Amino acid sequence: MQEFDAKGSAAAIVAGLKKAGIDFVASLPDEKMLEVIRAVERDGELKHVPLCREEEGIGICAGAYLAGKKTAIIMQNAGFLNSCNALTTTSLQFQIPILMLIYYAGDLGDRGFTILGGVTEPVLQAMGFRSYVLRKHEEIDVIIRGAQILADDSKKPVAVLLTKSVLGVT
Amino acid sequence: MQRYDYLKAIASDAGDALAVCTGWGAREWWSVRPSEGNLKTRTLGLVSSIAAGLAISLPRRKVLALDGDGAFLMNLCGLPTIAMQNPGNLIHLLFDNEVYEASGGTATASRHADAVTLAQGAGYKHARWATSPEEFRTAFTHAWQQNELTLIAVKVEPGQPPNLPPLRLDEIENKYRFMRYLESSERKEILNPGFDSKLRS
Repeated sequence: MQEFDAKGSAAAIVAGLKKAGIDFVASLPDEKMLEVIRAVERDGELKHVPLCREEEGIGICAGAYLAGKKTAIIMQNAGFLNSCNALTTTSLQFQIPILMLIYYAGDLGDRGFTILGGVTEPVLQAMGFRSYVLRKHEEIDVIIRGAQILADDSKKPVAVLLTKSVLGVT
Repeated sequence: MQRYDYLKAIASDAGDALAVCTGWGAREWWSVRPSEGNLKTRTLGLVSSIAAGLAISLPRRKVLALDGDGAFLMNLCGLPTIAMQNPGNLIHLLFDNEVYEASGGTATASRHADAVTLAQGAGYKHARWATSPEEFRTAFTHAWQQNELTLIAVKVEPGQPPNLPPLRLDEIENKYRFMRYLESSERKEILNPGFDSKLRS
């Protein structure tokens, strides 16, 4: 299997977002997603809105969706937890889709964030959000595109959990 | 003076601006400027962020955020984000009654925290207080013509006129009507045409 470094992985993820029709991205960094966010920032076709707190990004993306944008938010799972009220009382309440690319801190074998990692999938499930763990480079396109279709069609947030292996980081 | 007095002062100048509302102000705004381009938010604080998302995405359309002090203070971190994007078509209106009016009337921190200073510190190029409906209207039309991101704040008494009709629409109805209105007024398809589209592809 071909190995991809962080830049190569970031390029593939951003290409996947564009193939999925995403044209509006809000973000708040995790170190592991630095190259992804840099690639979004460099891309001339994606509107990029850097955030100060993830919850406002759910609002900004909701406004953009109403105006016809296909939106994604890039954040860490702690940021997902920060966003839960907005995801409930804006995204779910108004039936507004958003693709959430969430770095899965505390995933299998990841020291330092195991409490956060353990809370992540149960909370996603409790909120009724479908979620997919993305581990393999070759699955980037199909999972991102598929999740975007699910979000758009169900008019709900859908989560793609990004792991170190797919991000090409250690 | 109450918020309603200030809303009345600008209603006829708001044209086809999209208006994103929060709390009790929504019912008042609908009564003075009924429009399919009005949206009532539910998440305390997000009114300014949702309005900003609209303004960034529709740069030729005027967008109003009708904010309250409780919501404004809850979303302070949203201000630098908005200022960094600097949407000139966004007019951020703040009605500061110093209480959480829709939540029972307990005090907010706004009597200790100057909203205009906060907005300026966050990077808003234009932020000012108005002290009368006339001054508010002048500031509003100036911001409209200038087409630069502006916060206009007013101190108001809590309360609203007693006989305003309740809003008879739920969030999803509000969303669809708002989006259909945008589709017709912006002349573009926004909503996915739905299941029927699969038959065509």
